[in-house]
Amino acid sequence: MKRRVLDHPILGHKTDHREEIEFFFEGEKLKAYPDDTIASALIANGIDIFGFSSSGKPRGLFCAIGKCSSCLVEVNGIPNIRACITPVKNGIKVKRQKGKGKPTW
Amino acid sequence: MVKHQALVIGAGPAGLCGAIAMAENGVDVLVVDEGLEPGGQLPKQTHKFFGHEGFFASLRGFEIGKILIERARKNGVKLLLKTTVAGIYEDAIVLYNRELEKTQELKVDYILIATGASEKFISFKKNYLPGIYGAGAVQTLMNQYRTLPGKNFIIIGAGNIGLILGYQLLQAGANVKAIIEASSKVGGYAVHANKIKRMGVPIILNHTIVEAIGEEKVNGAIIAKVDASFKPIPGTEREFVVDTICLAVGLQPNVELAAQIGARIEYVPKLGGYVPYRDENMKTSLENVYIAGDLASIEEATTAMIEGYIAGYNIAQKITGKDFSEQITKMKRELVEFRKGPFSQKVREGLKHFNISFSEGGYRTKIQNNEEPVGKLRVKIECPQNIPCNPCETSCPTGAITVGENINGIPHVDYDKCIGCGICVTKCPGLAIFLIQEFEKSSIVGIPYEFELPDENEKVILLDKNGNEIGYGKVEKIVKNNRFHTHIVFLNIPKGFENDVRHFKKIVKNYEEIICRCESITRKEIEDAIEEGFTDFEELRRYLRISMGPCGGRVCRLQTLSIISEKTGIPISELDSGRYRPPSIPLSFKAILNGEDDKNE
Ligand code: SF4
Ligand code: SF4
Ligand code: FES
Repeated sequence: MKRRVLDHPILGHKTDHREEIEFFFEGEKLKAYPDDTIASALIANGIDIFGFSSSGKPRGLFCAIGKCSSCLVEVNGIPNIRACITPVKNGIKVKRQKGKGKPTW
Repeated sequence: MVKHQALVIGAGPAGLCGAIAMAENGVDVLVVDEGLEPGGQLPKQTHKFFGHEGFFASLRGFEIGKILIERARKNGVKLLLKTTVAGIYEDAIVLYNRELEKTQELKVDYILIATGASEKFISFKKNYLPGIYGAGAVQTLMNQYRTLPGKNFIIIGAGNIGLILGYQLLQAGANVKAIIEASSKVGGYAVHANKIKRMGVPIILNHTIVEAIGEEKVNGAIIAKVDASFKPIPGTEREFVVDTICLAVGLQPNVELAAQIGARIEYVPKLGGYVPYRDENMKTSLENVYIAGDLASIEEATTAMIEGYIAGYNIAQKITGKDFSEQITKMKRELVEFRKGPFSQKVREGLKHFNISFSEGGYRTKIQNNEEPVGKLRVKIECPQNIPCNPCETSCPTGAITVGENINGIPHVDYDKCIGCGICVTKCPGLAIFLIQEFEKSSIVGIPYEFELPDENEKVILLDKNGNEIGYGKVEKIVKNNRFHTHIVFLNIPKGFENDVRHFKKIVKNYEEIICRCESITRKEIEDAIEEGFTDFEELRRYLRISMGPCGGRVCRLQTLSIISEKTGIPISELDSGRYRPPSIPLSFKAILNGEDDKNE
């Protein structure tokens, strides 16, 4: 997870992430901190494209507080999950969403 | 169906203060918020807030958030997170709890809506690309989740949010290539702009972004100059190589819920766009619905807190039947004080639309004339605007600083009283106070500093107010402030530069520095070898082949010795300088043989 700010002149050293957890993105196993959201975990792993609009344009994070719906992903088969306000969990399977997303039942 | 006396929607500064005002007076209040954490935008703010101590001035946003949350909990406020108010219907309110995946019905007598604001978006080519973020999103990522979405940033908008974001990015170790502003002047506070200007970040006025470069994600931005009507002028385009574009182009109130409940909404651009009508007690057009904070008018945290209290006390008064007019009047007086300055002009004008008037003026506008006691250790305040802020005044133990009658006044110093203690330097949220003292041969400047500290005695590059390099200085002393994180770095600088030096940067060692030209050995290789334990010149020579080349060590011997001395602390005079082997210059065999011939002749 290369994009971390572990040392910060005001916030100090980030120490509250003793164990890392693992989740899957498009089948690939990635690491995250337990206090990450899906969005922060993806960004930390260098992933900026969260999905594609119905016309095929890449989509990423925009507001990070659940207001814009730019970050919709599929989690364990359920589409329209806002990655920015959903905590990452051990073992979840995250996929890029295309358009409105296709739920698998 | 769950029942409460009052519901607060939104756990930001306005909502929390409203809830505290109610709970303190015995009201049963529930606060609902969508976020994973309470505090609204406070937890992502690492800078010190303006205002006065009564509203936590000089504390950082995330610290203020913690205090408010604790105060709310202590007073019995119930907090429901990860929960969205999905709909407000005539007979009940429906909450949706994201975590439990269920809805819940709620009935309350009073509602305080404090849903805040959302960031505005602007249109430019390819503005959909990943790598384009709202300013707040980048703050959330880096300060709450400790994740930086890129390395090289450009910020669009030089209001306070853009300026603060720039500073926070620098603290997180990112490069900020520029801040772009469409209007002809910086919209945010000068003290915020100065903090990043002195670190060398340009603020480019009269420009806007016209295109994001990249196919799958941002790898550049094109900006262009704008004309008087903010239209890009063709032919003035400029390209920046960046991987992240941050939009800090303003906020718009989140009116959806207020509108849904039936509160009258009006379009008042000076307040931020569509806003609910409210009276001076923060009551909407509905008897039992109140609002506060950015939803009511885009402003800042202090006024949001005050409005929260006003709404909260009013609701508490109605529910309990007790009289809280004293508290309400006190808070209203605070608002009047805060809103007198030039930065409140828009809000003052906007509120006229609702027949609410706030007076302007009554603050000190004069900038102090300099009759400074040269040679004495004293403060230098560079806070030229009328902003609602006074920690400089209230923190000074000798009463040397005053901002005058109103909190928007410009601070003046009584130099007879200033003892140079530096407390104000560490408290000032604008990092606008410096310490200076002239000596016979050099001068001292004390700089408020919130980055990784240099070493004492370190030689540094001095920077002026615009981040230009203006020579070298030395770190004289560091006064650390581990509690509040604003340290003071005292620099020894050339005389005459006391009013220029405002920042510094480390001299980055160039590891491509070649020490031994013959064998092409770099300073870094030597330093590493010394660290491995080769601290003797002869040892280094055998290990690295340093000074074994044709020059015979002329170029590198002394340099190598001085590096050993630097790293080991042993003076050069006490180091073994190694053997001097012949020949002292390269000799060809022919020359040697010819010499033999001479002898034989
Ligand atoms: S340096 Fe100390 S004495 Fe001087 S103005 Fe600041 S707080 Fe007051
Ligand atoms: S000098 Fe005083 S008024 Fe200006 S920012 Fe600093 S503390 Fe606030
Ligand atoms: S990034 Fe806006 S909703 Fe997630």
